[in-house]
Amino acid sequence: MASDDSADVVVVGTGVVGCLIAEQALDAGLSVLMLEAGPRVDRWRIVENYRNLPPSLRLFHWDAPYPPKPWAPHLETRKDKEAEQYLQLEGPNARAYLQGYVRYAGGATWHWAGICWRLTPEDMRLNSLYGVGRDWPFAHDVIEPYYTRAEYALGVCGPSDPASQWPPNAKRSQPYPMGPTPFGPGEHRLTEVAAKIGLMNIPAPQARNSGVSYHGRPPCCGNNNCFPVCPIAAKYDAATALPKIEAKGGKILVNAVVYRIETGNRKTVEAVHYFDPDKGSHKVTGKIFVIACNGIETPKLLLFSKDDRNPNGVANSSDQVGRNMMDQPKLIADVELTEPLWTGVGPVQSSSVMNTTQGEFRNSHAGALLRMENFARSPLGAAAALKKGLVGKALDKEIRRISACTARLTVEHEPLPSPDNRLTLSSKKDWLGINKPNIYYDVGDYVRRSAKEYTVPLLHKLADGLGATSFQLSPEFLNSDHIMGGCIMGTDPTTSVVDADCRAHDHHNLFLPGGGAMPSGTASNSTLTMAALALKAADAIVDQLRHG
Amino acid sequence: MPDRYRDDCPTAFSLERRELLLGGLYLLGGLAVIPTLPAIAAAASWSQESAAQFMEISSLLIPHHLHGEVGKRIGAAMSALNPALSEQVAALLAIAKNKNARIVEDFFPDVPEGPLKETALAIISAWYLGVVSDAPDAEVFAYEYALMYGPTRDVMTIPSYAVSGPNGWTADAPPLDNMPEF
Repeated sequence: MASDDSADVVVVGTGVVGCLIAEQALDAGLSVLMLEAGPRVDRWRIVENYRNLPPSLRLFHWDAPYPPKPWAPHLETRKDKEAEQYLQLEGPNARAYLQGYVRYAGGATWHWAGICWRLTPEDMRLNSLYGVGRDWPFAHDVIEPYYTRAEYALGVCGPSDPASQWPPNAKRSQPYPMGPTPFGPGEHRLTEVAAKIGLMNIPAPQARNSGVSYHGRPPCCGNNNCFPVCPIAAKYDAATALPKIEAKGGKILVNAVVYRIETGNRKTVEAVHYFDPDKGSHKVTGKIFVIACNGIETPKLLLFSKDDRNPNGVANSSDQVGRNMMDQPKLIADVELTEPLWTGVGPVQSSSVMNTTQGEFRNSHAGALLRMENFARSPLGAAAALKKGLVGKALDKEIRRISACTARLTVEHEPLPSPDNRLTLSSKKDWLGINKPNIYYDVGDYVRRSAKEYTVPLLHKLADGLGATSFQLSPEFLNSDHIMGGCIMGTDPTTSVVDADCRAHDHHNLFLPGGGAMPSGTASNSTLTMAALALKAADAIVDQLRHG
Repeated sequence: MPDRYRDDCPTAFSLERRELLLGGLYLLGGLAVIPTLPAIAAAASWSQESAAQFMEISSLLIPHHLHGEVGKRIGAAMSALNPALSEQVAALLAIAKNKNARIVEDFFPDVPEGPLKETALAIISAWYLGVVSDAPDAEVFAYEYALMYGPTRDVMTIPSYAVSGPNGWTADAPPLDNMPEF
């Protein structure tokens, strides 16, 4: 049994990665203590926070229902000034790293879309096949069983027809635990139009209960609010795992901001130190330490733990901690159409065009995922119609027209790891005196070429097919909130931070699983791969504690 | 062990937002900003008669079912920001009566450009959006009753509300011309 200051496995972070590892360790009979920087907040409060936002903040400000505690700041965008407070961003594409994540118990899965793509075999061999980026230290057949376990742990719904499954060229060892959710009118029409220009819009596997209850959570009822919060927990979020972890004997300390990883002789991690909200410092010891506080907070903590024994920071003899920061640089096109499309029926995302992510072209430019945002556009339609000064029947007619006959098309590009895209410690400090993260970000020519030669022309074609009368492209690359690369995985300790089990090369009892470990960003949403890596790390942790 | 910090964060957030309501408002329409005016003082000058007239003009400006409780709160909030609201409502009612108006189209062309028209549009906007301001800290007076969801209620979800049961939606949509009643 864990105490407040010691356990077999100490997990820092209560997001999807930390929770999966905690449950696996508990199931293996190990004691687990979890530390979370932020508060633990009930779902109903977050839903109320959301509904009490003015309409202009209910869309595109996914952080707004999650006000941070002073001791656990995260990105806030309700006001421009707030957006500059925490993340310190620089470089030609600083805007593309304005990452939203939640420092609450449950982590960023509170406001994820629930999309669960698997990587393709090619996604893991970029360097061998296309001469760009890095290869993974293991092949796709090694990660496949972990994907399956992750799909069953999270409760992923997806198509049973192999022709609609992704990837198309790798076998699944098990079917999805649930069938897909139905398409609404918008996604149905998009699929038809895309097919005419060779784009395959396929049902997205989603960590969302489809038609049935699963793991004690209800089926999706189409509340169309997956982000910023699923009001009924039909979508998996790690907050739903917390009571299960406690029921199995795990301990969860919230408002506990880990600020230092302490190593002893022979590079063993001995303890982590955390601040409570009164700025009192506490020490937690354990046998294995898992740092899973997301792709920004984990490298920040490693760098902040710099001391005489670890002059570049913990786990950083390679100087790769905080480098290779990745996310899918996103472009959006707002289009107006002659015919109604009707979004806002079913989940906010249910499908994507995936065949555009793969191809020989990857030796010169990025692959990309295309999709349509499926959120209800009625608030946007109302705001635009009211702005025209319309009244009465004309007002209602225009609201209906704009809501039905507009859409947002999105393209997310595959990034390459670059050592120059780097997280360092800013000279600016937060409420506790901990340095804020500073990130330099340049999407690189690989992505810029893709946008110019490949994806923007594709967006235009798709918009034309939908009957667009106007096409407004975002003026710069945006963030996708898929933080990857800062603790990159590899076999060579001089060029990577963790091994194939997400174990730090430098410290045998320190694990850094999650997006930070991913050697390739790819165009696919990262969470299922993070979850698979978490389960792989959990197996290694259990094995290490059993057999030394 | 109960966590003494649990759940306190959003409560504090909400209180702060309400306290700030009168502070940093970006106003719709022609309402004047009076940052120092306490809400309670405004409420005192907003009589029952004013509230009744506000509902009357709202019903003439908007051809839909309006909730009285929501109207009371919107009217009080708008009056706190615009001391001339009572007079402007009375003037708008006079124009409507002069035209024997039953719907907004009957009298809106007669509303002169300027503060009167801006206030009329601000009243309509408040009922549709559920807020009298779109500032980050604005108080929300109506969520599911905000009329902006009405014109698409036969298809689009009110976000966070379910329109059907498990997987109970389809790709079918009625014609654009079929305006639902609301």
